[in-house]
Amino acid sequence: MTGIRITRAGPLVTLQDAGRPGLLRHGISASGPMDRTAFERAGGWLGAAGTTGIEFTTAGLGLVAEGSVAIALDGGAFELSIDGEAKPWPARALLQPGAVVEIRPGSAGNYGYLRFDREVDIAPVMGSRATSCIAGIGGFGGRALQVGDVVPLGATLPRGRGQHPTPAAERDGPIRVVWGIHADRFDDVIRQRFVTDGFVVSPQLDRMGVRLADPHRVFAAARILSLVSDAVVPGDIQILGDGTPIVLMRDHQPTGGYPRIATVVSVDLDRFAQLRPGAPVRFEPVTVAHAEGLKP
Amino acid sequence: MPDPHPTPLILPLGDRGLLVRFGDSLSDTANRAAIALAGRVEAAALPGVAEVVPNLISVLLRYDPATLTFDRLAGEIRLLVSGLEDAPAAGTRHVVQVSFDGEDLEEVAGLLHVSVMEFLAMHNAAALRVLATGFAPGFVYCGMHPETLVVPRRSVVRRQVAAGTVLFAAGQTAITSTPIPTGWHVIGHTDFRNFDPAAEPPTAVRAGDILQFAAP
Repeated sequence: MTGIRITRAGPLVTLQDAGRPGLLRHGISASGPMDRTAFERAGGWLGAAGTTGIEFTTAGLGLVAEGSVAIALDGGAFELSIDGEAKPWPARALLQPGAVVEIRPGSAGNYGYLRFDREVDIAPVMGSRATSCIAGIGGFGGRALQVGDVVPLGATLPRGRGQHPTPAAERDGPIRVVWGIHADRFDDVIRQRFVTDGFVVSPQLDRMGVRLADPHRVFAAARILSLVSDAVVPGDIQILGDGTPIVLMRDHQPTGGYPRIATVVSVDLDRFAQLRPGAPVRFEPVTVAHAEGLKP
Repeated sequence: MPDPHPTPLILPLGDRGLLVRFGDSLSDTANRAAIALAGRVEAAALPGVAEVVPNLISVLLRYDPATLTFDRLAGEIRLLVSGLEDAPAAGTRHVVQVSFDGEDLEEVAGLLHVSVMEFLAMHNAAALRVLATGFAPGFVYCGMHPETLVVPRRSVVRRQVAAGTVLFAAGQTAITSTPIPTGWHVIGHTDFRNFDPAAEPPTAVRAGDILQFAAP
């Protein structure tokens, strides 16, 4: 059977697809790729890709092809070699049986994607093969992929036309946000400084959330009494009891009781997910009507 | 005569979410209003609304901005709120068998200045309403207990309690269906599991349902 045998994996290598939206009331957040745009781009290089791919991190990924399989890679900037030969990034390749693929961290980004011209041959859970680290479901029994795992692949899909892989245009500038459901609990000075002072991505980041360093101590004086838990969406910026801002990501807790000052707009969340520890972050408030009209 | 529904705040939650919040603190009135509104919105089946999520005192609506804007959806919600009935119809009744053997049971009874037996008699006397679900897979909050049964959360968080743990704090009783960390008091354990990934839907208990706790 065709498959991909994992020979080297970081701690957060997971199977992902479009996720499982619509289950918040059952206690399950949608999951899905941290950088949906890059995930979709990788599929576009193949033309016809299975719905499920592998998300890997800066720890990289090593694999061996069991059978012949077409792959595409995108997301961040990684170093790629196939059978020892360096390849450009992003990439599309036809792997021969036994081909050795090595992916190592490159100059930018936290998350990369590997997609196939086939569907991953494991049973969906609640309509999705996405791994939910917090709910412990989907993918390989809700866990990250490990060395020795073989990701089984089904039959080739009808061949699409595909596109020649080209690097995406880099976007920078502030991360746009909509003021959050508890923004009125923060005084004017804190709200103003939230916009002007800037933060730094901390090393504490995973699929649940990204903690920010607050070098200007914007939230040092914030005092908010306990709140009743409310639904959470990806991109919500919670302020923990000790003043640490945390941006909630795809595997967020479905509800939260910490105050939320703002929410990252949908089209900027992928770019935010790729910011490495140490990267500066500025937030720019926009109106909901403006955010609704933004295109990826 | 029940209290009239409070006028809610309608807030954007990002650019694809609208939150309707009935007040700032947990009350029976606000909770009933949230559950009632969620039912109304579901029944209305508004085009572009992707998900309706009742919470303790609020309702989240996720919408597709290609079909619907926040402003238009807010207008629809104001209409639905104005027509809310005073009390949502009672939900399904579930009987939950609990072994009241939790490690914090004596501490809870002590905080309330009663014996363990007295506490259990008070705790199980009345059926509870499901206030909300979804903090974790299948997680159920129910209440509200009377003022005489309110204890604060523990100061120390347990790193993990098992599925089927019965928790107590803040005037509520909760049931876990997966292992989670918690600062609530552990008062018992149950075989009842409100989460089955193979089932459709994956949970059986809905906000507004009635739970009767019973010791075997």
